[in-house]
Amino acid sequence: MNPVAESPTEFDELLQSLLGRCAAADSIALKRLYELVSPILFACVTRILRRRALAEEALQDVFISIWQQAGQFTAVRGRPMAWMMSIARYRAIDLLRRERFAPMLLAEPPEQRAIDAEPDSEASAAVWLPSPDLMKQCLGLLSDQQTHCLELAFVNGNSHEDIARLMGSPLGTVKSWIRRGLRSLRQCLES
Amino acid sequence: MKPDNPEIVDRLASEYVLGTLRGPARRRFERWRAGTPFVDQRCRFWEERLMHLAKGVTPEQPPAHVWPAILRRLNLTTRQPALRRFRSFALAASVLLVVGVAALMYWRSLPALRATAVATISAKSGEHVWELEVFGNADRLVAHAEKLPARLPGSDYELWALPKGAAPVSLGILPAAGASSRTLTLMQKQALANSSQVAVSIEPLGGSPTGQPTGTIVYVAPLRAPS
Repeated sequence: MNPVAESPTEFDELLQSLLGRCAAADSIALKRLYELVSPILFACVTRILRRRALAEEALQDVFISIWQQAGQFTAVRGRPMAWMMSIARYRAIDLLRRERFAPMLLAEPPEQRAIDAEPDSEASAAVWLPSPDLMKQCLGLLSDQQTHCLELAFVNGNSHEDIARLMGSPLGTVKSWIRRGLRSLRQCLES
Repeated sequence: MKPDNPEIVDRLASEYVLGTLRGPARRRFERWRAGTPFVDQRCRFWEERLMHLAKGVTPEQPPAHVWPAILRRLNLTTRQPALRRFRSFALAASVLLVVGVAALMYWRSLPALRATAVATISAKSGEHVWELEVFGNADRLVAHAEKLPARLPGSDYELWALPKGAAPVSLGILPAAGASSRTLTLMQKQALANSSQVAVSIEPLGGSPTGQPTGTIVYVAPLRAPS
């Protein structure tokens, strides 16, 4: 099955099925899962860690966790991609802390977005994402600064201090943008 | 502190998922999440929503060596069966070699198993009936039946040590054919050490019921040092 041709819902179901087989120790399912999601997970951990060797180590850890915890996912019944991406991002953030790597700021100028493509372009139509309508609508309510802060934190793994330096803004202001941005998102998503 | 205010819980959950909750606070929150379903539920809410922020990230194919490394770490490697078979063979051969060398060293470390005394029990005709070997170091007595005379039905030949100045001590039933090997008790060893002769009596099946010879003493033979 070609994942690019699948709708997000079908993709979710496929991932759920593969995770269920992983929980039953089916290594072929793990290989199929790796083929489907390792590119996006690898890109995510690479953006946070910014060192390919460390990102490769993190990706190994992520798939070992997925294999070992697949049974827990089926019990939780969440979105499989969100579950796997969280494992990947949290592992990368842990590695940043444990390896005591000084945060490396992105070379891009502050005004450049943390993402690789414009959200509305055809190239950004990520098959692993569920229908973006509501989230797109809610993100549209945020200021540019708020959106940029959230992207730098989520995608690049930047801390408050990193973001303040990148954006040339006071730390307190950055914290306020992030806090208000998250609050606006919650109000919008749950309204 | 674990706040009860749902808004504070939600703010912490959102910052945890976003990645801006760092350091000890992050560790504490992870432990709290693991044991608190409501906190876990709020985290999953944010995980499913905030992943939209990564929609512009371009997927990147990981290097080819990452997948085999994952398989190795999970002990799921299925490739290169010939190499794995060779490794299994090499491992088994190594174990055998180690065990063999250890056994050889142990064998060579043992004291030489030599008889400390022997006796030949012969008939009047001169034919050997039994050959006895006493292995004092190993506490064993070995008896070889050679050419036994006809014996009465329902009877056994019993061997006795004849210690000086003491009553005979039974050394057990002698074999009617072939060889027998028995472990000597301390009393039997002491009796043999004080004996210059052994004797054979005819006893009921299973041996003397009294612990002393009850039947006819049919043979007496000297104990001697092995040649």
